[in-house]
Amino acid sequence: MGLGFRIGLELVVAVFVGVAIGWAIDRWLGTRPWGLLVFLFLGVGAGMTNVYRVVKGLGMAVGYKGEGRGGTEPGKGERGKGEWDDED
Amino acid sequence: MAAPEASPLHQFSIDRIAEMHLGRLDLSYTNSALLMTIAAGLITALMVAATRNASLVPGRLQSLAEMLYDFVAKMIDDNVGEEGRQYFPFLFTLFMFILFGNLLGMIPYSFTFTSHIVVTFALAATVFIGVTLIGVIRHGFHFLSLFVPHGVPKALLLLLVPIELLSYCIRPFTLSIRLFANMVAGHTMLVIFAGFVAPLGLFFFAPIAMDAALVLLEFLVAVLQAYVFTILSCLYLRDAIHLH
Repeated sequence: MGLGFRIGLELVVAVFVGVAIGWAIDRWLGTRPWGLLVFLFLGVGAGMTNVYRVVKGLGMAVGYKGEGRGGTEPGKGERGKGEWDDED
Repeated sequence: MAAPEASPLHQFSIDRIAEMHLGRLDLSYTNSALLMTIAAGLITALMVAATRNASLVPGRLQSLAEMLYDFVAKMIDDNVGEEGRQYFPFLFTLFMFILFGNLLGMIPYSFTFTSHIVVTFALAATVFIGVTLIGVIRHGFHFLSLFVPHGVPKALLLLLVPIELLSYCIRPFTLSIRLFANMVAGHTMLVIFAGFVAPLGLFFFAPIAMDAALVLLEFLVAVLQAYVFTILSCLYLRDAIHLH
């Protein structure tokens, strides 16, 4: 239930959501199997991006970018980077 | 779906307390709804009681309420910044509701409403839709730049933008599954170990010791998951307000 759980969750959920979207698009547009294929790989890609961000400590949240914590002025409110990573 | 009495999953079954139907909609008052009402009532009672006789030197109840307030306020200040202050009421309510839901579930024979994906997904979807709307209202069309990574060759954008978009859409799912899975796993584990007590005969104390340790862990998880849910909501909000 720590960091490992989070990484597994990000990977699996991303793939599932990708497949679900692809499947829905196929049903809607009748483009089987292309939607499923494309979105499966996009899902895998999104999952890996998220895992990469989590591990790098950049991404406490999905889609978090850049080194500067935008909202925080430097020097104020430093939550150590590790503080998040140990717990989940 | 109703699991047999002895099943470790029986604790999650929903029982109707008062039947209520609106057309074809089943709006029955269930044990889940009862626990939510209790949680909301307790939170309101705590905050009202703590602030009624507010004094400069806080009493026990008042300092508890002030600590909770400071905790969420600091979390918003650190992660969202000044602009996040106006969303404090929502985030504080969210934190308290999940915290009380998790902690009330730790009372023996009670029910953990955060162990149902419907509940956690409704909370996560509210956060997701709200945050997206805040982003769109604040930035309009420019909000879409959230999905364009910096310093990437133009050709790669064709691949990266859909991936970013998808990883944005996954947020409500990971947010809700994290909370729900933690609660279900912990509570199921407690009952499974408790089920070993009688069959083990002489060694009955081993699972009891395990359960005692697990209960402590579960209290930790209950508080931690409320914190994680709220801080991730803060970070999503930060993204919507500051874009990058």
